[in-house]
Amino acid sequence: MMARLRASFARHPVLGSGFLLALGLVVFFAARSVAALVFWADPAHRDQPIEGWMTPRYVVQSWQLPPEVMTEILNAGPMPDRRRTLGEIAEDQGITLNDLATRITAATDAHRAASK
Amino acid sequence: MAMIPDYGLWLLGVVTFLSCLALPVPASLLMIGGGAFAAAGDFALTSISGVAYLGAVAGDQTGFAIGQRGSRLFAGIRTTSGKRAELLARAEHFFDKWGGPGVFLSRWLVSPLGPYINFIGGAARLNWLKFTAWGIAGEAVWVGLYTGLGYTFSGQIAMVADIAANISGLLAALAGAGALGWLVFRPHGPPRA
Repeated sequence: MMARLRASFARHPVLGSGFLLALGLVVFFAARSVAALVFWADPAHRDQPIEGWMTPRYVVQSWQLPPEVMTEILNAGPMPDRRRTLGEIAEDQGITLNDLATRITAATDAHRAASK
Repeated sequence: MAMIPDYGLWLLGVVTFLSCLALPVPASLLMIGGGAFAAAGDFALTSISGVAYLGAVAGDQTGFAIGQRGSRLFAGIRTTSGKRAELLARAEHFFDKWGGPGVFLSRWLVSPLGPYINFIGGAARLNWLKFTAWGIAGEAVWVGLYTGLGYTFSGQIAMVADIAANISGLLAALAGAGALGWLVFRPHGPPRA
């Protein structure tokens, strides 16, 4: 059995090396998949922090907020122009993204506390 | 990710197109993100998946055509070396037998292998109609799967993208090891036809 495997390998050294490399990748991705599942199983890792690319609607959806909470935070009239990101909105208002994120988090906490 | 609201849908189509040509662009991540934006109401899910789908199908056709052109460069090798001729014959036999389902599954289940199947399929003279029929079905699953994941788990796209990337890498490595192992270690002997 071993002799036959070795003979096949000697016959096709390039493909054989590719095979070993693929086996290595199998081990690598198996380990990473397990690590990812373990990491994300922890609920603390799942709250997605505010980032500049997000739109107000995106945050409303992913944090499950009523839209009014968001409009209040942005102290604009209706929901601002579609597809404006939080990064752009912060810039418009002359504040940093961090300030805006803090405002959103505070309003979210207040809303969640009130609706308990 | 900021690129989706900024540049809109066309970017997504361009990225899925390029990903079918083995260029390192984050197509899966952008489709998950696109699905999440659709869930938030910033885009329509149909336009997100439609554009991604068109890009992917066009990319497959381009990759297949590149493979066909490239195969002419290799035409001389075929007869010069017994070992290579044997391998090429095996690869072509493999494609004849498993080409259709292989194209289908390499669109979504083992999608990292997809672009290479496009090139090899074109080079190995896989029937174009067969390639296209299985390909467009597979791309529908790929686009539906990833935009659907983003739509469903719109609050946790970092999680979904991370897990999906690793599992799809694992499946692709398994398939690659299986195919290469078959080519190298299958018993020799007179071809049984």
